[in-house]
Amino acid sequence: MTRHRPSDELLLDYAAGALPAGPALAVGVHVALEPASRRLVDRLGALAGVLLESDTGSDLPADALDRALSRLDREPVETRSGAQGEVDGPTWAPAPLRRHITQGVRWRRAFGGFERAELDLGGAGHRAALLKLAPGRGLPMHTHRGEEMTVVLQGGFTDASGSYGVGDFCVAGDGEHRPIADPGEPCIALIVLERPIVLTGPVGRLLNPLVGRDLI
Amino acid sequence: MDAAAAADCLEAIARHQDRAAFQRLFAYFAPRVKGFVMRGGADADTAQEVAQETLILVWRKAASFDRSRASAATWIFTIARNKRIDLLRRGNKPAIDPEDWLAAYASDSGEIGKSIDAEQTYNRVKELLGDLSADQMTVIRKAFFEDKTHSEVAADLGLPLGTVKSRIRLALQRLRVGLDGDAT
Repeated sequence: MTRHRPSDELLLDYAAGALPAGPALAVGVHVALEPASRRLVDRLGALAGVLLESDTGSDLPADALDRALSRLDREPVETRSGAQGEVDGPTWAPAPLRRHITQGVRWRRAFGGFERAELDLGGAGHRAALLKLAPGRGLPMHTHRGEEMTVVLQGGFTDASGSYGVGDFCVAGDGEHRPIADPGEPCIALIVLERPIVLTGPVGRLLNPLVGRDLI
Repeated sequence: MDAAAAADCLEAIARHQDRAAFQRLFAYFAPRVKGFVMRGGADADTAQEVAQETLILVWRKAASFDRSRASAATWIFTIARNKRIDLLRRGNKPAIDPEDWLAAYASDSGEIGKSIDAEQTYNRVKELLGDLSADQMTVIRKAFFEDKTHSEVAADLGLPLGTVKSRIRLALQRLRVGLDGDAT
């Protein structure tokens, strides 16, 4: 099966920590699910370390080390169990997503026969939501005014551009599309939107004012 | 300090709060972290504070360092860049949960056969760095040192987006070929 992965430059943006919270979540979730992307991010991490180490550096004042040493007694070395915590969550949610759904997922019926659950990104500009589609169901025909990133978490969907399975990542820019959930399990996907979608079907067009006010 | 020695120091701190190991790491990495933060546009005082706080955090978190997952320099870089974001609070760059970022290096997904030692990868990347062109290095350095997306890097350098993308792709391709001997 063709894997749909983010571009090299988007993975670099992610590894450099340059992405805003929404896209960073989408890419992070994909990276957690896709070994090939994880391998590249690991290598970019190695590269970051090499860049740090090969920096000529800038001297600190003579007393810097003593000041640091004098703080160590008040700063105990944390034990490993305290430093790392597994977060519980649904089996389909990888770790970077679980931290956003610690209170559980509150699915709500949305216009068009699917369910959605908003994620709180702490007012970071982008909007993020989980969508759940029953097999064979589709999203209303829509187009984007900004970037839309999708990562499949369970099941799969197909649109005019291809078929997407668990871990697959897609960025939709301009142009209409109408994703339909594949047969089998319900399709669950993470969607990160730069700006609200624009519905383009005959009924959808009438509903756009509602989309703009976050009602859909 | 080579990668193995730095990892040994972190493990010594984790095992018995080894202050001598901390001193060695501080002497080696604190000036580099300061330099890295200044290259990102911070003044010397801020950069110094980031360096201090980073090394204190290195001490506190040493037990969560795992040499099979990341090299010491990579691990320290992740702490430094999060500290920098914390302290600078750059308006348009929301701080990323350090756990999210470090999780990317936690290769625990059962990738049997591909689990090359992190230290080995690190040393190989170091060797391969010399193969990248100056133009490629400029783009990658800006991304990591200035928290810039490739579009921001393009705007900064006054280059077309396509040029920056192809420099990134060629550089990463070089790394892939150098590490895997193929282009996958």
